[in-house]
Amino acid sequence: MIWMSKLLRIVHLFPELLNLYADQGNIAVLAKRAQARDCEVSVQRVKLGDSLDLENSDILVLGGGSDREQAVVAKELMRYRADLLTAIEAGLPVLAVCGGYQLLGHYYELPNHEKISGLGLLDFITKAGNKRLIGDIAISWLDEAGHDRGETIVGFENHGGRTIHSYPSLGRVLRGYGNNGDDQLEGLQYKGVVATYIHGPLLPKNPHLADDLLQKALRYRYGESFSWCSLDDQLAMRAHQFLLNRTLSR
Amino acid sequence: MFLLGRVTYLLLRLARKKGTSLPGLLMWRWRKTLLSEWLNQLEQLIVVTGTNGKTTTTALLYSMLHDQDQPWITNQGGANLVQGLMAALSRHANWRGVLRVRKAVFEIDEATFPLIMERVRPTLMVVTNIFRDQLDRYGEIDHALSMIQKGIALHEASQLLINADDPLTAFLGRNRSLTYAFSMDKEAIASMTMVDSSEVRDGSFCLVCGHELHYDGFIYSQIGYYRCLHCDFTHPDAEFIGSPRQDASLVVGELSGLPGEPSTLHVDLTGMYNAYNLLCAYSAARIVGASPRRIQEGLRRFVSPTGRMQTFVGKQQSEITLALIKNPTGANGVLRAVVEDVQTYAICLTINDQDADGRDVSWLWDVDFESFVTRSNIRRYYCAGERALDMALRLYYAGVREEAMVIVEDLTTLPAVLFTLGQKTYVLSTYTALHRLAEWFERESEKRGNDLDE
Repeated sequence: MIWMSKLLRIVHLFPELLNLYADQGNIAVLAKRAQARDCEVSVQRVKLGDSLDLENSDILVLGGGSDREQAVVAKELMRYRADLLTAIEAGLPVLAVCGGYQLLGHYYELPNHEKISGLGLLDFITKAGNKRLIGDIAISWLDEAGHDRGETIVGFENHGGRTIHSYPSLGRVLRGYGNNGDDQLEGLQYKGVVATYIHGPLLPKNPHLADDLLQKALRYRYGESFSWCSLDDQLAMRAHQFLLNRTLSR
Repeated sequence: MFLLGRVTYLLLRLARKKGTSLPGLLMWRWRKTLLSEWLNQLEQLIVVTGTNGKTTTTALLYSMLHDQDQPWITNQGGANLVQGLMAALSRHANWRGVLRVRKAVFEIDEATFPLIMERVRPTLMVVTNIFRDQLDRYGEIDHALSMIQKGIALHEASQLLINADDPLTAFLGRNRSLTYAFSMDKEAIASMTMVDSSEVRDGSFCLVCGHELHYDGFIYSQIGYYRCLHCDFTHPDAEFIGSPRQDASLVVGELSGLPGEPSTLHVDLTGMYNAYNLLCAYSAARIVGASPRRIQEGLRRFVSPTGRMQTFVGKQQSEITLALIKNPTGANGVLRAVVEDVQTYAICLTINDQDADGRDVSWLWDVDFESFVTRSNIRRYYCAGERALDMALRLYYAGVREEAMVIVEDLTTLPAVLFTLGQKTYVLSTYTALHRLAEWFERESEKRGNDLDE
């Protein structure tokens, strides 16, 4: 088919609250890579009190915040729950990092057994552990069937929560903690949803994951995937490789 | 008690010679006792805390207060944890553990603040500001605030100086007596407000009711002229009001009823954040009774602490200015100062990720490099340190062309490279590379100076 300029609408949810791990970096990467493929990109920042127009959203980005901020966001998003469920089933791409990841589940249980409600969009829970899981992390990237894609994802993790779920994981932990520090798995993928504890931010050093999300977004909006040019990722991959080597050698 | 103090004192002396600290729980308990002993002997004590600007503010304040007739003790160079206080005090104690100087101005790390506050009776507590600090990120922004709040609550009878332009700091002085505030002139703030900035404003929520604050103007981060539209929380009236002038001086007017005329202050420091440090130090000095004249005289003796815009000059007009960066707000402040200096040719960003730097480098993405790249005409960007590649990638996304970037793989080559440019360069560095760089630049600039003499 003839390549025509496609519109891609990125929606950043509550950047004023969920901005603990520089998630605007993820937005910058998505926007720049889509533009390099001749997509027309719009970035909408939905703030507290704004309305969320899911009909006109092609990819949602949900970052991490403090417990207090997460609770505020969960409350705010609850009124969109039914629409979000439908959109996710239809394949709407959602990138959820750290606190945003936890928000997708039913709740986050604090050490005093108090539960911070999540959105319950996916069927899992998170419980606070004794110590925070902090440090560099490297995982091998898996496909939805659990096969190794032959690529790695690197970054930094810093979370008190332990998440256990029965969805396909984003990857297998090579070094670091991952979802819970026990089962060597990290993140979650379900249809268009990519949820992970990895930040740094996540996408600049992992351009292959950014492209995967963009393809998902195009498929969701236009019903087909596109072949597009690869970009010069030398700098990104040097940074990726440096961190991978250093993390694995520790 | 007497013997204990003496033994500890001798051990400390010994330890200092070796440049190490003596480990062990026993030592720690001795030291804690001795620290309390010493702190109790102080007749006048100013403590400076907050997330940014502590070191410079304390150094400024010290220069305003200290002279040979009226000596003060201070913890120089950012040694703001218990160990730093011990070292500073031990220098002024005699062999029996008695302090010869009874006045001190200390910068205190926000995390140690409540611990130290349990052991002292401060004359004045100063809070510079509360920004998201990289090192404090594990506890997030509320953590720094609660630690400082805890320390202040212990001393209702002590004076408090707060930054009225920072809603988080101002909150600490809400409904509190014996509280003074400093602020920049409202019009100055309005004229500096940048609308195109994409800075993250972390603290811009009302701590009383939780709504987003309304700003009539802001300078950087959450600093500005704010009010809450949902409750009565608002920018408090300040006793000390600063107006920054074009020539980098600061005019300070006082509404405090303290005797004295408005003062015009000059100091060799650039950047709006340093204007705040200067205003803060001036206000503190006035509160403890220093006259404007004495303050002016003291400022002439001021020497910028390591890596707080310290300048090194080499041959062929090479000039390097070194600045510490450790979190987005600090870095944004430094970047603004660099933009204002139109002669700047190159910038070097040295990013390490040791514990003291913060192991998570994602904060680089919260720094507003986008505005910097658009507004400055820097020709070359050097990226150095352990995370040079992350820095380069960040700059790439901010719009710097790869041809304009140089990745410095070996940090030791940096001084030679920058001193042969024959240009003006700013070097921004995280903590663990800072002192090494300062040493090398010092040595290199002396060497170049000698070459010049021959």
